[in-house]
Amino acid sequence: MVYWILLQKSFLRNMQYKVAHLINNAASAIFGFVFIAIWVGVLQGKENESPYSALDMTYYIAAVQCILWLSGFLTAGLNIQNGVRNGAISLELARPTNFFLYVTSQEAGRLLYNLFFRSLPIGLVFSFTVGFYIPQHIPSYFFLCISILFAMIISINLHYLVGISACWTTEINWAHFVNFTLLVGLGGQLVPIDLLPAPLSYITPYLPFAGAIYYPVMIFLEKVSSEVILIQLVWVVVLTSFNLWLTEKARHKLEIQGG
Amino acid sequence: MNLYLKLLSGSLRSRMQYKMNFLVSSLSYGLIMAVDFVLLAAILQRFDDIKGWNLYEVGLLYGISSVAITLYRVFCVEVHNFERYMVEGEFDSLLIRPVSPLSLLLTKNIDLSRIGGTIQGVLILVISIIGLKLNNVELFLLLIYLPVTIFSGLVICFSLGLITATIAFWTQRIKDFQTFTLYAPFNAANYPMNIYPGWLKIIFFTVIPVGFMNYTPILFLLNKGGDLWNLALPPLVSIIFLFISLRFWKFGIRHYHSTGS
Repeated sequence: MVYWILLQKSFLRNMQYKVAHLINNAASAIFGFVFIAIWVGVLQGKENESPYSALDMTYYIAAVQCILWLSGFLTAGLNIQNGVRNGAISLELARPTNFFLYVTSQEAGRLLYNLFFRSLPIGLVFSFTVGFYIPQHIPSYFFLCISILFAMIISINLHYLVGISACWTTEINWAHFVNFTLLVGLGGQLVPIDLLPAPLSYITPYLPFAGAIYYPVMIFLEKVSSEVILIQLVWVVVLTSFNLWLTEKARHKLEIQGG
Repeated sequence: MNLYLKLLSGSLRSRMQYKMNFLVSSLSYGLIMAVDFVLLAAILQRFDDIKGWNLYEVGLLYGISSVAITLYRVFCVEVHNFERYMVEGEFDSLLIRPVSPLSLLLTKNIDLSRIGGTIQGVLILVISIIGLKLNNVELFLLLIYLPVTIFSGLVICFSLGLITATIAFWTQRIKDFQTFTLYAPFNAANYPMNIYPGWLKIIFFTVIPVGFMNYTPILFLLNKGGDLWNLALPPLVSIIFLFISLRFWKFGIRHYHSTGS
């Protein structure tokens, strides 16, 4: 199947840069150590005021740093904006393949690469230094796999949405900044969303950003019921359907200039 | 200097051809820079302090660090994006000009879309200074010293950026190194150094000396420890580090080999 081949090729293309990526992993781990130090500093002597202990937050931040490479740090606009600028999108949309799957399968290959060469090495660094949580119950591993898969699909869709918007706006830098800010801010990258001040703490659990970072991390730490996967599923269906519809709109909008 | 001012106005004019895009890009960059601080404010609203530093005190550190790195991103954009010259083979064209390559890089371009981050940093500084409720003498000292600490931070950031750019002479690509030498340390410098484990503190006070930029002087200015040396160290360290980075840059140029075609 063509999309599977695209995924494989994208995986192999990323393999070319694995040494540089391993250096970057060290920086990613340092970011993690900084955030862990913040939480340990904040919670020192105040653990009874918090639903999380310093150790909980250490595990939380360590898991977030790993998940970010699967659902946080995606290619801006999935590079759709480049095709809009140089006109290549006309050819890509005219191909007898589904444009949405054509673009997203390539990003999926990159994320699969990130799992092996970014998330796992970073997780290993944390496990040898500050410690890394290991789920205690077998079903947690099953739910974790589904939750991570949904998190990746949600995030790919959010980035696709930013990218395809280039068909109307051309420039997507600002949209990417805003999307990324919401993803890390309301997704629980530094602060678990239940610790956010009201009314944010009431709204954020139902937004897609929580489904991209917070829920897979909390399932990994076995701190929420597996039912939260349903919230992720709703966003997977809503965002995918919306993006497919938007792709059709973009196809109708397309004007091919002769040369 | 005259040439540099002309370049500045030219860059501003070219940006203003796309006013809406410039404004939205600047605003959104400022927003992403501010989100960490807003989240930190949310944490400290609930838990009061981080190892004895309240929100406004951390805000001072955060503001200085943010302004320093964003000024570097505005004015040293070509040094920051230096890998382009290696990957696309454009460095040769800089070597044949009658001006030094570094002067050319510094005067070639500025990235005004990053100015939103500087404005956000200044805003955090203003809010923090008001919130600290310092007495007149403390306030006067802090206001007098702020430009020194920001400029020292800018020089340290530029030196780190230049050292990372020099690595490109051997590795071509440097984006991944920048996360290690610039983004992670400057993110760490947003917070007080006393929260970090010993080995991280050693790194931030030696090979990547971001701790001197804001933590050392603010410690003294907020009566949290240290002596007058704390105020002398930031400019001193930044000058030494600038000297080291310039030597390394010259060493890199001497070892540069063009790919030819």
